[in-house]
Order: sequence, then structure tokens, then C-alpha cells
Amino acid sequence: MAIGNVLNPSVPLTQDVTSPGPDAGNLMGKTVGIRVDEIWRCWDRITEIWAEQFVAAGATVKLWRCSQGRTGAEGERIAASLNEFLDGIDIALVGLANCGSCTGWTIRDSITAASKGIPTTAVCTQNFVDLSRALARRGGRSGLRLHVLPYPLNECERAEVDAVARNHIDGIMETMGISSQTSLRRAV
Amino acid sequence: MTISIEPGRSSQTAKQAPNLRDCGPAGCDVDWLSSERVASDVDDVMAFTRFSLEQGWGDGLPLIPPTEARVRQFLSKNNRFADELICTLPPQDGECTVEKIAINAVMAGAEPETLPVIIAALEGMARDDFELFGQNTTTAPVYPVTIVNGAIRDKLSIPYQHGCLGGAATPAAAIGRAIRLIMRNIAGQVPGVTSQTTFGSPGRVAGVVFGEWEERSPWQPFAERRGVKGDAVSVYGSMGTMNVLDTVSQKGPEFLEMTGKSLAYPGANGLTPCMPFAEILVAINPVWADIIHRDVPHFEDVQEILWRNTAMDANHLTAKHREQLEPLGRVINSKVYVVTEPKDVMIVCCGGTGGLHATGFHSFGSCLTQTVPVIPGPIA
Repeated sequence: MAIGNVLNPSVPLTQDVTSPGPDAGNLMGKTVGIRVDEIWRCWDRITEIWAEQFVAAGATVKLWRCSQGRTGAEGERIAASLNEFLDGIDIALVGLANCGSCTGWTIRDSITAASKGIPTTAVCTQNFVDLSRALARRGGRSGLRLHVLPYPLNECERAEVDAVARNHIDGIMETMGISSQTSLRRAV
Repeated sequence: MTISIEPGRSSQTAKQAPNLRDCGPAGCDVDWLSSERVASDVDDVMAFTRFSLEQGWGDGLPLIPPTEARVRQFLSKNNRFADELICTLPPQDGECTVEKIAINAVMAGAEPETLPVIIAALEGMARDDFELFGQNTTTAPVYPVTIVNGAIRDKLSIPYQHGCLGGAATPAAAIGRAIRLIMRNIAGQVPGVTSQTTFGSPGRVAGVVFGEWEERSPWQPFAERRGVKGDAVSVYGSMGTMNVLDTVSQKGPEFLEMTGKSLAYPGANGLTPCMPFAEILVAINPVWADIIHRDVPHFEDVQEILWRNTAMDANHLTAKHREQLEPLGRVINSKVYVVTEPKDVMIVCCGGTGGLHATGFHSFGSCLTQTVPVIPGPIA
């Protein structure tokens, strides 16, 4: 055995922001931007139910649907559209991380929003928690707010999905840092 | 010792110190290698391989210990500065410097002369339109296929005849493995951590690197059709290889019909319910290529016939599947096509002279093929 030095073939992780970023606070008068996609019907349904709650708490809700074509001219259009969307909202809710690449894009778009100083929460399903956290860390934002929904979800019937949405209302408000004052308004 | 060689490309460092190169095995006054030194067994390959797995560097196959001397030797036969940043690779956005490439290439057993091809391939993969971020995180089995054109094929023994997609014994196999190690160690693609690939693929071990048999192809070289003449690398995000066997066709349109129809199946990437567009790559053997060219002389017509035959009755899809494709305009006269336009059917000529088979490569997501010129360096 001859001990010597080898050169490390890997690279260190980028600098990390461990803070979750600002709380969403009181929703009254604010615009909640929800990023939906073209894959997960369950996410459409869940955000529809959550949006009702945000509106009831005095917020305006804007939806932005992400195309799967994020390359070429379509990709440039989507990037510009995302940027415009983020510039018009106060709070970002980004999903759904429910597969490998869509988790990648969910986290990437969340980091883009968080980097603009927008209170941002990414939403994933249980099987993609570790990936979401790993990608947030590798993207330099390990503190990114992450709300976890059960898995499988898209395979569930509509009534089951609706129940998940309702059961997670308090949880998503807590993850987003929505103030208790807002929660009280919702309860009323 | 200072070696003065005109750089292949400029970099910030090169502009600052145009005559300083890596100093080879003997070292030099200025240490150009900035990577962390890690104590390890440097003679016993198996011991180092075990160590590499503990460190998360390895792929399970034997690795060459990347000692300073070996890395310097590798770099000294090229004209690139060790600290030159080639690209960043997602999802880790790791900085892919020439030094890091060289370390991984040494580990993979790649020859120094392969560096320009590895760099060109990585430059292509790092472009946004290649969607490497998605490829390295997805549940899919996708891996980048590297297609080489130009005289450099023979200089580096890149296979383009029998067994070119796997099985041909050539040192070029180490090119693909070097790229795979770079995906692991620099891009941070680790199954179960960042990569969610459900099954993975044999192509994720040592990649797939092959050339086009330009001398037998009746068509312009693949890269030249994409705007790059001479030595070039094209990278394509492939879900794997699918074989097409045809023992009955005799005419060009018959081969194209059989191949096109074989490419279409409901679970193909291009028919994913949310997919607005995609590409597909087809490798045609030189025997069929001659017949096809004889009967269908215009290349665009070859693409069009293949594309037309990828049509599938939309009712063959499940109702839910069809309902999601329809709003995207993907259902045309009750038919769906694997890709939206004939131009997205890409063709490369390679393989053995036994004929009988074509290979289809379904793409990943909306990943777009990238073609990059290979910038040669003076090789000692």
C-alpha cells in the first residue's frame, strides 16, 4: 500500500441561505401568486380550494401555469412570463414537486421567487421531500419553506384530493408564515 | 518548466498570463491545481475504488487514482488552463473547470487527447436548451448520448461501425465514463439524493459515445446539418435505445414506414400528455441508408416519411391521455405524432454492415439537441 494524495474530483456546494425568508404575514390586500403546472390535476384542485381561503382572508390570487416546454423559444417565453408574474405578486406558492424533473423546476422557480425577496413556499409530495431539500440546498437556499402533501396524490379520486386540501389549510398557512390574524379571519 | 502554447480559447486567466501553462508531472513554481488533496492509496486500484465509493466519487467500477502527477500529465498534453471555467452543471451548479474535468477523466481512464471532446460535450450539455437540470433530477432514465463527427472520430477511435452504441472495444468508452463521473461529482447527480430516476439505465454508467459513419452516409454529416462543419460533438438527451428489426422491407419507403411505425407507442416521451414538443433520433445502418437514399433522394423527404409513419390513431390512447394532448394541438385529424414536425426527426448513419436493424432514441422532456465544435489543442 502506497499512501499519497489524490485530487478531490467533486466540487463544494454553493453558499447557502439558511433563512426561510420573510413571512407572508397578513394576507389582507396582498396578492398571492400560485404557480401551477400542466401535469398534476390534483394540484389544480388543491390550489383552487386553498385560493378560496386566501381570497376569504382578503387576498387577491393570481395563477401562473408553467409549460413543460422550457427550452428554445417556448422556454424563453416561459422565463419572461415567470419573471413578469413574480413582479406582480406579494407572496409565492409554488408547486407541485411530484416527480423528479418537476421537483427540480418547482424548487428552481421557488428559488427564483425567493431571490426576489418574495415570501415563498414550495409544495411537494411526501416521496419528493428529500429531493426538494437536496435541490434547495444545492441551489443555495436550504432554508426554503417547504410544505409536504401526502403521496400518492394525483392517483387519488377528486373527493380524496379535496379532503387533503382541506386538511392542509392550517398547515400551509403555518408554512407560509401567514399571520394568526389572517387565520382568525379565515375561521370567521 | 513553463510551456508556452497558444490557448485554444481565451479565458480571464489566459489574458492575464498568456504564457503560463500547466507544468506537467514535474510541477512548477506556481501551483495551478487548486483541488483539495486527499490522502489515499494511490497504487492499489481496488483500494482506491473502495475509497472512492466511501467518498461518493465512484460509480462502482475500478477507478484510476487521480494523483497530482497523473492529472498534471493529462493537462500537460492539452492547451487549457486548469482554472478555466468551462460551465456550471445543474442541479448543484457545480463549477466545471478544466482541472475538475481532468481529475474525473483520469479517474475514468480517459486519454489526454480526449479532453477537447469531453469539453465540447459538456458545453453542449450546459446550455439551457439541453435541460440538464431536468435530466439530472427526473424519474426518467434519460442520459446524454454523445455523437461525434469529423476526422477526430478516427483519431480518438470513436466507434461508428459494428457495436458502436455499446460493445465495441475502444478507449473512447472512457470518454463516456468521464462525462458520467462529472455528472456525479460536479453536477451532483446522485441516485436517490438528487436524481429520482426510477430505474436508471445502462447508459448512465459509461454513457453512449459514438460517431457517424460519414464515409458511408449518403447524407451530410449530422453536425453539418446542424450548422457545424468538421470536428463536432452533438449531445442528445436519450431515454434509451429501442431496436427496430426489419427482415422483409426492400425499398427505401418500406424501411422508413417500418421504422416510423415502430417509433410510435403511447408511452413515448413525445406523447407525454403535457408535452408541447419533443425530438426523436434514429440511427440508420449504412445498408438501409444506401437503399433509402436511392429511393428517396431528398433528406427532408426521408424525415417527412418517417414522421408521417409515427402517426397513431388518437383513440389508441387512453381517454385521459388524449384529453390532455388535445388542448396542446397535438391531435391532428384524429391522429397523434411522436413529434410535432418532420424536422424534429433527426437521423444519423452508423452501425455495422449486417443491416437489418435501426435504433430509435426517444428524447427527454423538451430537451433540445446541442451541437458544439470541437476546438482542438496541440497534442504532444
